[in-house]
Amino acid sequence: MIKFHPSEQHLVLYAAGELSPAMLMMVGTHVDMCPKCQAHVQDIEQHMATKLFGETETASIVHGFDEQAMLQAIFNSQSPAGSAAPAANDSLYLEGQRFALPPTLARNSHRIGEWSRLPGKLWRAPVRVGGEEMLNFIYMGEHASLPEHTHKGNEATLVVNGVFNDEHNEYRDGDFMLLDEHHKHSPATQDHDCLTIAALDGPLHFTTGLSRLLNPFSSLFFK
Amino acid sequence: MSSAQPDNPEHAAELLAKIAAEQSRAAFSELFRYFAPRLQAYATRQFGNEQTAMDLVQETMTNVWHKAHLFKPDRGSAATWIFTIARNIRFDLLRKNKYRQNDLSADDLWPVLAETNDSLDDDYALDNDLLMQQLAVYCEQLPKAQRTVIELIYIEGKSQQEVADALEIPLGTVKSRTRLALQKLKELIQHDD
Ligand SMILES: [Zn+2]
Repeated sequence: MIKFHPSEQHLVLYAAGELSPAMLMMVGTHVDMCPKCQAHVQDIEQHMATKLFGETETASIVHGFDEQAMLQAIFNSQSPAGSAAPAANDSLYLEGQRFALPPTLARNSHRIGEWSRLPGKLWRAPVRVGGEEMLNFIYMGEHASLPEHTHKGNEATLVVNGVFNDEHNEYRDGDFMLLDEHHKHSPATQDHDCLTIAALDGPLHFTTGLSRLLNPFSSLFFK
Repeated sequence: MSSAQPDNPEHAAELLAKIAAEQSRAAFSELFRYFAPRLQAYATRQFGNEQTAMDLVQETMTNVWHKAHLFKPDRGSAATWIFTIARNIRFDLLRKNKYRQNDLSADDLWPVLAETNDSLDDDYALDNDLLMQQLAVYCEQLPKAQRTVIELIYIEGKSQQEVADALEIPLGTVKSRTRLALQKLKELIQHDD
């Protein structure tokens, strides 16, 4: 049972494509793993569609838009080539174990870089998604711990597989947490290992956009 | 002609089904006249650039025309599906100017237009694993054109679009051959029982 979810703002910005690439991957992976957020994202997409297509006043429709010409161009067009996506690899092998990757990570498995070993049963691999913010896999073996640290900016962490604890809680598969720079914490594993992905939550990429259809910064819209 | 408008979700879904099944230009024109100007109006406000807005509308609606078979009415409304296509195209358009090799594309995040085998309609998806194993034997009895399609889809795991591309035949033909072949296979298998 997933206990920790992204905020509704994150879900709205994910559905609009208006988070940093690293955070889009983080939220997308949580949404893969969480039926509740999946349903919520579908609701959000539907609301945005309704706002975009349903409430346009005829007065604001652009003059000089040559519908007939565009229709003809579309009828004469070739079917857009399906982008030849690199084969999705839904497994990740590490320390002799197989980890199943949720679809968002599987589709992007070719972006996973080399694993490097850090002191104290920790491993890390970058996921190259472009953008300013780093996205990393962090793997903690059993009985491992990260030194107590704070973050410059917010850091998001998602458990892909396993369990870890900090002073506050226990986090399991699918749990998504966002820690701000005032939070000190020292994550550790006990009898289980834990595969996570982590990203710094950088500034939003767009100041206006699709998410404005729903004004995500004014409390809750749904439920 | 019905009096329903494309802002009626059921009617919009029917129009998409007609485009998918018979490449109906009339059905597409009706959808287009409703959705394209609204998208254009919104995109012009957003981009502040009429040409970019036009590109967004044209790319979105071109996908609606060619990919209508990927619309799944049980997963959301036609308007929502068109919205997600536009969202994806906008995402890629905004990155085009500063494109770098590692950048995510919209398809990596939201595979709205991915051709997959679950795009096979449920009513002609094989529901029994055992059938798969017997398939090779029964396939021998199919006309060659149907057998080729079935082997590519069920043995090689290709999507219907990939089969159409590989054989250079229309998607509709692949669909009808699949449907006929599966019908024939079911008859053969039932006959044998
Ligand atoms: Zn969730």
